[in-house]
Amino acid sequence: MAVETRRRRRSLGSQGITFWPERLAADPGRNPVASSLISISQTSRCGFGLLMYGFGSKKVLLEDFASTSLTDYGALVLNGYLPSINLKQVIIAICEMLQDQLKTSRKGSVRKKAKTQQPLSFQSMEDLLMFLNEQPSDDNESFVCLIIHNIDGPALRDFETQQYLARLASCSPVRVIASTDHVNAPLLWDKKMVHTQFNWCWYHVPTFAPYKAEGVFFPLILAGSSAAQSTKTALVVLQSLTPNAQSVFKVLAEHQLANVKEEGMPVNTLYTKCREKFLVSSQVTLNSHLTEFKDHELVKVRKHSDGQDCLYIPLTTESLERLLQELV
Amino acid sequence: MASCPSSDPPSPPPASDGISGNHNLQPFFVLHKASHSSSAPRKTYERSPASKKTKRRIDLSGSPSKPSKNVDDSLPTDPSDPIFDQLRFDAFNRTWSKIDTTIKDVLRKINLNLFDDVRCWVQQSFLTIRATSPVPSIAITCPYPLSTDALCKQIPTAFICTKNAEFVDDLLTFQELGEHLKCSGCHVANLSSLDFSAKHGIGSCISSLLRTLVPDAADVADISVLGSWYSEFSRHDNPVVVIIDDMERSNGDVLAEFILMMSEWAIKIPVIFIMGVATTVGAPKRLLPSGALRCLLPCKFTLGTPCERMNALIEAVLVKPCTRFTISHKVAVFLRSYFLKHDGTVTSFIRALKLACIKHFSMEHLSFLGYGVLQDDCEVAWLHKHEILPDVCKYTSILSLHKREKGFERAGDAFVNGLNELRRLHKNWGSIVMCLFETGKFNKMRFFDIFCEALDPSSYTLNCPDDTSSTDIFPGGVFTPAKGGSIAQAIYKIHEKVRELQLIMRSVDGGKILKENGADVDKSEFLHARKSISSINEKAATLLETIVRNLLVPFECIPFHEIICFKHVHILQTALIGDPRRTIQVDLLKSRAHLQCSCCGSHDSVISSSMHDTSIMYKLAQEYGDLINLHDWYQSFKATILGSRSKTKRKGQSPASKKMKTALIEGDAMIQARFCRAVIELQITGLLRMPSKRRPDFVQRVAFGL
Repeated sequence: MAVETRRRRRSLGSQGITFWPERLAADPGRNPVASSLISISQTSRCGFGLLMYGFGSKKVLLEDFASTSLTDYGALVLNGYLPSINLKQVIIAICEMLQDQLKTSRKGSVRKKAKTQQPLSFQSMEDLLMFLNEQPSDDNESFVCLIIHNIDGPALRDFETQQYLARLASCSPVRVIASTDHVNAPLLWDKKMVHTQFNWCWYHVPTFAPYKAEGVFFPLILAGSSAAQSTKTALVVLQSLTPNAQSVFKVLAEHQLANVKEEGMPVNTLYTKCREKFLVSSQVTLNSHLTEFKDHELVKVRKHSDGQDCLYIPLTTESLERLLQELV
Repeated sequence: MASCPSSDPPSPPPASDGISGNHNLQPFFVLHKASHSSSAPRKTYERSPASKKTKRRIDLSGSPSKPSKNVDDSLPTDPSDPIFDQLRFDAFNRTWSKIDTTIKDVLRKINLNLFDDVRCWVQQSFLTIRATSPVPSIAITCPYPLSTDALCKQIPTAFICTKNAEFVDDLLTFQELGEHLKCSGCHVANLSSLDFSAKHGIGSCISSLLRTLVPDAADVADISVLGSWYSEFSRHDNPVVVIIDDMERSNGDVLAEFILMMSEWAIKIPVIFIMGVATTVGAPKRLLPSGALRCLLPCKFTLGTPCERMNALIEAVLVKPCTRFTISHKVAVFLRSYFLKHDGTVTSFIRALKLACIKHFSMEHLSFLGYGVLQDDCEVAWLHKHEILPDVCKYTSILSLHKREKGFERAGDAFVNGLNELRRLHKNWGSIVMCLFETGKFNKMRFFDIFCEALDPSSYTLNCPDDTSSTDIFPGGVFTPAKGGSIAQAIYKIHEKVRELQLIMRSVDGGKILKENGADVDKSEFLHARKSISSINEKAATLLETIVRNLLVPFECIPFHEIICFKHVHILQTALIGDPRRTIQVDLLKSRAHLQCSCCGSHDSVISSSMHDTSIMYKLAQEYGDLINLHDWYQSFKATILGSRSKTKRKGQSPASKKMKTALIEGDAMIQARFCRAVIELQITGLLRMPSKRRPDFVQRVAFGL
């Protein structure tokens, strides 16, 4: 019995998966054509964005689909589940792919060159999107498929990024095939984005495949939540404090970054530095700031090897650097 | 004995997992580049080896003049052969381009009068600007600022009331307005509310304006660039028109700043604003400060309502027999409720129609034959197609009414006759519905209601429904309008009009007779005339009723309607409205239905250890309130997982052995790992929120009920 289920699963993961969406929706007995993967790629060619939803990772499904039925077109994969993504780099890569594609197919120059012949990386997002929009679309044959895993992922969740993605999706030489996992994903888009830009055609594909790649950045619930102090929560707390308190935190953070191997910063040293910078006028003021930090677990105390109490921030160097950048 | 995905022992990853495994932590990567096997236009489909040998040309145009003669005899026998996919795709492209053109024409026609009014107003405003501030050409090129009085700083502004809270429908209207004004020589820039955001400030909208009007300019938000551009060549003979489609969504401060800046430059750059207002004309007063409002010289225009547009679309696209595609009653009812209750935008309706069209052409075998069904004189072509496509007959056996074709000697005749009749009845149906629409116009009825009712197969009753052996393959029944329905109302309206007509004629004729005969009125003659008029009018009314009853044959009652009619409402609904909130929960609660495994029992309500871990966890979570105690949850999960194992192990093994203890510890670690993974998966789906600092032992449930 277990073998049977496993076999079924593998077929979903390898070949059968590509035509599964339609098969779920239609009765394959009565409509054999409905189970054709061509109909899905046709939908994409007709200007619809394909959006796969349902429980289970759809990473393999989307990449298999692109590898089997979209080989005539360039395909670029965007891992939306990662915590940070530079969307401009993605758009530049799409522009480059399209340029190559058009050069090869026409054996001539691209009809519309990018603005002022600058390298693509020097151009603004607006110019890049305009460049994509101005590419010829009359033959409807030269386009780039953008495959977005978790379009509702943490790095793509803000409105501005979704706006850029929607504008990218509305460019004629770009076709978007995306997956979404969050139950509230539709709240990311307004009607303009849904109806005129993304133009979604929904496919329910519950693969029940484990979220191996997607779940990497989530803290383990049984591993203790105190260790999982994220940059974001720290930032929220710090932004609610006074500018002086923020500056005191910065002094401590900069010291920690400069002396990574040290166990922490003695309280006296911190006081001296803060006083020099006119951040605190007395030890009492500093202590009130430190109490605030400790309450929010932004700062912790441990014994130095010489027995002295010293302060440290329970964040990794990388997170601390990002926190300082975002705090400015 | 776990058999579901996450409960399985580690299995070798699928082939593509290995390839993409290295890319999992990269923000993006190129999966593959386009393969350019030939310089010819690419086809997506590859033919199967068996059918690769044969190449055939099938005339899709439906024109009888060009039947393809060089036809290979060896035909693909499989209806799902890629060649048919290609034919269907081509047919879709032709059909949709026709529908699309029709839609654009209809929408353009609706707005054409308004566009002309706006164009005249723009020209008049420009002349007024020029008249009030006669600026010599030298002054145009002189540096900023130009000293002018307050009157010259006012910018003519057209507020176009869209009568539609959803601005999506009007995006196209404003784009077309822009094109219309461009044709008359204006320099037009279409801006949106996104260009007036508080985050980017005034720089963003000026950049957008420059990008549209002065594409070669450097990427600097400098209005003087526009000034010098405008003074070049003969550009200053036409105004600069700035269209903001949804001004109410713009940031008021940024928009005000933009207006003030443009008014400062009003002499150098004679700008005219056109702004879309979704709510009321008072909206600009609420959005803009008085300083900015003072710079505007307002004028009001009004667009048609979405219902008017929808009426026009229904008439042009779905009723007039110009298209090769139509929808069934159920689909029409779904689209009506989608328009009226769910979305309310014409854009979404058009999108739904396109999706239905794609689904129809990808699902219906013979859909590619639909192109040309409605053209006259195509019998020869149909017969020819039937000959060159012998499988057509075979495929028609799938169609529901094929069994009724026994009366014909040749299957080809039945096919051709069927299609002819489909065309005839389609035309009749369209004409009758158009008549009803005309009547409905006076009664302010929604065309969509009439359209839906006219498609309803349940209103149509066959004369001899039980006589399946009848040689007549075509329906001979009557259409009975539903009581209180739109068609009944329309017919009632016709009756009313006829009665009014009768009264008018009576009074006119009665007056005439009285005048002609004066005092010697022959009473019997008068009564006879009245009676004859009355009977004629009654006959006219009866005729109208008879026409509706006999000629209004819903598509679904006509043989071969499947070729042009899309019926799969559920498929359309699923593709159009993704409902992840409900569906993902159903996936988890009824995982057995999707995995179709035999190991998890037959009832979804029973939790079995062989189920998917996350499914078990979510089912267990249903027993809690909004907060779930982690410890309890874990223990329940562990008990479920171990439940079946302990039962089997108790029988044969000694519980005290050391090996057993280690196995249990390992088992605990494994269960904890599985528990953690399931929690992460629930977090990814958004069904669970992590513990807060106040209550670290509790997680929060987010969704309650389907």
